[in-house]
Amino acid sequence: MAVLNMSGQTASGTGEGIKVDGLEVSYGGVVALRGISLEIGPGGFVAVLGANGAGKTTLVRTLTGLLPLHKGRVTAGGATLNGVSVVGRTSRDLVKSGLAQVPEGRKLFPRLTVEENLLCGAATRTDKSEMDANLERVFELFPRIHDRLKQQAGYLSGGEQQMVAVGRALMANPRFLICDELSLGLAPMIVSQLFELLTRVREDGVGVLVIEQNARLALQHTEDAYVIEVGRIEHSGKSLNLRNDPVVQDLYLGGGGEATAAFSEIAARPRRWRR
Amino acid sequence: MTQLAFDAAVNLQLAIGGVALGSIYGIVALGFVLVFKSTGVLNLAQGDFLMLGAYLSVTLLLTNDLGLYMAIPLLALFMGFLGLSVHYSVMRHLVGQPFFSIVLVTIGIGTIIRAVLLMVYGPIEKGRLRALPEGSFKIGSVQVLWANVIIIAIIALILLMFVMFFRLTRLGLHIRAVADNLEAAAAQGIRPDSVYAMTWGVSLALVGIAGLLFGNVNNVTPAASTIGLAALPAAVIGGFSSLGGAIVGGLIVGVVEILLGYHLGQSWRQPSAFMLLFIILLVKPTGLFGGKEFERV
Amino acid sequence: MSYSVDSHPVFRRVTTDYRQEIRSIGRTGSRGLAVTVVVLGILLPWAFSRDVSPPFAFPWSTWAAVLNLSLLSALGATAFNVLVGYTGQLSLAHAGFLTVGAMTTGYLGTEAGLPFLVVLVLGTVVGAVVGILVGLPALRLKGYYLLLATLGVYFISQLAWKEFLVANYGFVGMIVDRPQLPAFTSGWPLIGTDTGEGLILSNNFRWYIVLAPICILVMLFLSNLTRSREGRAFAAVRERDVSASLIGIDVARTKLLAFAVSSAVVTLSGALSSYYLSARGEDSFPFAVTLNFAIMIVVGGFSSIQGAIFGAVFFHAMPELTKWIRSEAPVLRDIDYLRTHSGEIDLLIFGALVVLVLTTRPDGLAGLWAQIKGWFTKWPFST
Repeated sequence: MAVLNMSGQTASGTGEGIKVDGLEVSYGGVVALRGISLEIGPGGFVAVLGANGAGKTTLVRTLTGLLPLHKGRVTAGGATLNGVSVVGRTSRDLVKSGLAQVPEGRKLFPRLTVEENLLCGAATRTDKSEMDANLERVFELFPRIHDRLKQQAGYLSGGEQQMVAVGRALMANPRFLICDELSLGLAPMIVSQLFELLTRVREDGVGVLVIEQNARLALQHTEDAYVIEVGRIEHSGKSLNLRNDPVVQDLYLGGGGEATAAFSEIAARPRRWRR
Repeated sequence: MTQLAFDAAVNLQLAIGGVALGSIYGIVALGFVLVFKSTGVLNLAQGDFLMLGAYLSVTLLLTNDLGLYMAIPLLALFMGFLGLSVHYSVMRHLVGQPFFSIVLVTIGIGTIIRAVLLMVYGPIEKGRLRALPEGSFKIGSVQVLWANVIIIAIIALILLMFVMFFRLTRLGLHIRAVADNLEAAAAQGIRPDSVYAMTWGVSLALVGIAGLLFGNVNNVTPAASTIGLAALPAAVIGGFSSLGGAIVGGLIVGVVEILLGYHLGQSWRQPSAFMLLFIILLVKPTGLFGGKEFERV
Repeated sequence: MSYSVDSHPVFRRVTTDYRQEIRSIGRTGSRGLAVTVVVLGILLPWAFSRDVSPPFAFPWSTWAAVLNLSLLSALGATAFNVLVGYTGQLSLAHAGFLTVGAMTTGYLGTEAGLPFLVVLVLGTVVGAVVGILVGLPALRLKGYYLLLATLGVYFISQLAWKEFLVANYGFVGMIVDRPQLPAFTSGWPLIGTDTGEGLILSNNFRWYIVLAPICILVMLFLSNLTRSREGRAFAAVRERDVSASLIGIDVARTKLLAFAVSSAVVTLSGALSSYYLSARGEDSFPFAVTLNFAIMIVVGGFSSIQGAIFGAVFFHAMPELTKWIRSEAPVLRDIDYLRTHSGEIDLLIFGALVVLVLTTRPDGLAGLWAQIKGWFTKWPFST
């Protein structure tokens, strides 16, 4: 599939960015991702969409160095962070190079306090003043966290936990943030708030990659998007364009702007089959 | 004997001795639970490490005549390094292996340690170390041994240091994070490998000190490795996943063991910890402080 | 040239229906091999006990003892494997069951004077009953809790043993007379005749004649058990007992069966070894015994009957081997330390082997054997 040039900064231009090129990933004999190519530059806001099992999590694992933990292997193509390949590098290395992750399902440390969770995010940083500054920024973005600082993270509500997870990732002072299934289990209003907050994070020059099942919200807030189906990218482009693409509307947005349609009409629409 | 059996003073005296012994068990159990919570490994060699600590103390205290307060840090340092090497040389190669395999490996390691100790020190008893002050004082009608008091004090101090380390330092935080959620910790850039190694180091350092103190209470013999196993029920009694519970479990085992040993005979000491374990498991299978464990199908 | 499945060098080894699948011989090796083993197994030891001069001045008498001890241990190790490897019940209590076997022998054999075979049978039954008792709490306990609880069973058995010894034998320890087989065995060929009464098991060869059939029978039984319906239930319980109950397996009954069978066999082994070794004392069952089983299982290989046999043989053969090397090898011969500390050195080697095997080749000797066989089977396609 064609690789998009991002609006404004291109990855090749400034040297910074995540670039995936013809990536193929397998678990044992099962191919999970095939020919994946995508890009995100500094300050970019990219969505990767797809149904359950499409391969989004595999993509995240590849980029964050957690693939070996799940017995996966890159079998073709590659992915680079700031020009250096991510394959075979440890999570620690990648985090230090500026790639932080908000894991699917939050994955906070339930018995640690909110404050301790945030501090864990700074596991790779050593500068105390930088850490204090980051902490301030997190409190600024998520004032609710400040109120809950000394509580055990396991007791927080879903939305608050998600904020802590994002805050924890930000403590690593990243250049790029990968958010895996941010909307999972959260009320739409909270998800909206989160997306708006992510826009503010971009103001600091951080590129945000959002992996989502909730296509509507993701396409509303992001600038560029890719759609993965069964391990391949089937659609890509500016989020605005994809929002109005009838096929995407049909499959992921509940049929677009039409009110109700008769069943016979819907049944007559062309179906997509797996290749 | 019946007269003495109900003599409160005697029992109280025994109980204090039991608390001292129990605090030693508690430290051993603490190290055991620490390794388990962090790495998921059941270290059945814990008794052999206790034996190692006791025998090394013989070298430090008798052969080289170091003071108690020099010997303890030296021993802790050595055992700490040993813990690091246990992880880096053996345990890290077993990540992902079935649980029982890992348990058997620890048995293998314990066997090696016991064999080496027998080769170096010989099978004869070494007698009790006497590095602690002798003598006692009276509170009311109860005779209290100074040795017991000092043991309890030293262990309390060590526990304090441990708690401070665990809750206040960065490494302690990382150990707790890894124990809570391994994948999330890795995602933050925490290196599980280093964390595991440090956990082993801390655990063995604790057991080493326990061995030194143990050698002052009991004769230093190869049987120490079996006695050290009593710490395992202590850990389970306290609720296996609870660090504080391990200490409490150890104290309970210590007191019960001494009392049973006095009233029923010395041969009752060894199984007493396990008998207590049975009773507690019958009533509360997850131990006194353990939480519920769920298994998802 | 036409190949039928039965004559094809490679495909012949593949099972094509259920009956083949559960057959014991013909699955792990050809029938010819089994017969050869049996014949050799009888003839060789007899030949050497008859002063046929053995090659290389090898200490055959010692090795006869090794053989018998291996048979005894193989029983225990296989039973251990069935409980732990096949059914996944993490138990460290088997040294306790050996003790139960010794107590049964002492009480029924020496005290009550019951004949040898009767004691063995009764001992097995007692073992099964105690096994069920131990298995009952196992129904509630999981994983490491079970491990520690069974460890407790061992320690309690030691207490019982000590009390038993003190009550019946004072400080001397238990002495068991050489067992005597029933009268009909006195006239048998090959074995030599005693008086008109039954054969007395007084040397290694006679013991071998008794032990070998017992072992083969028990192992066949266990092997068949694992391939039967119950055996599959064992495996299901090992994997996921919750799921096993969902498909209709009575998990409690399966677990108790595993405990009963395994404990019965280990107790039998304990009773037999009490007769074989004649003297048992306070320290006959140190904790190291538990480790011995672990060593056998690890080195021999998990989850297979063959593994237990390999491990048992290895465990008893290795110290003899090292002793032989030590006394014959040119340089090592003169190092006195090796001789005086032979026990500890053997222990060290065992411990190191356990660690090495588990880190490098977890399926042990049995895995190695399977690999060798596989190489021959697949030839010329072997990798």
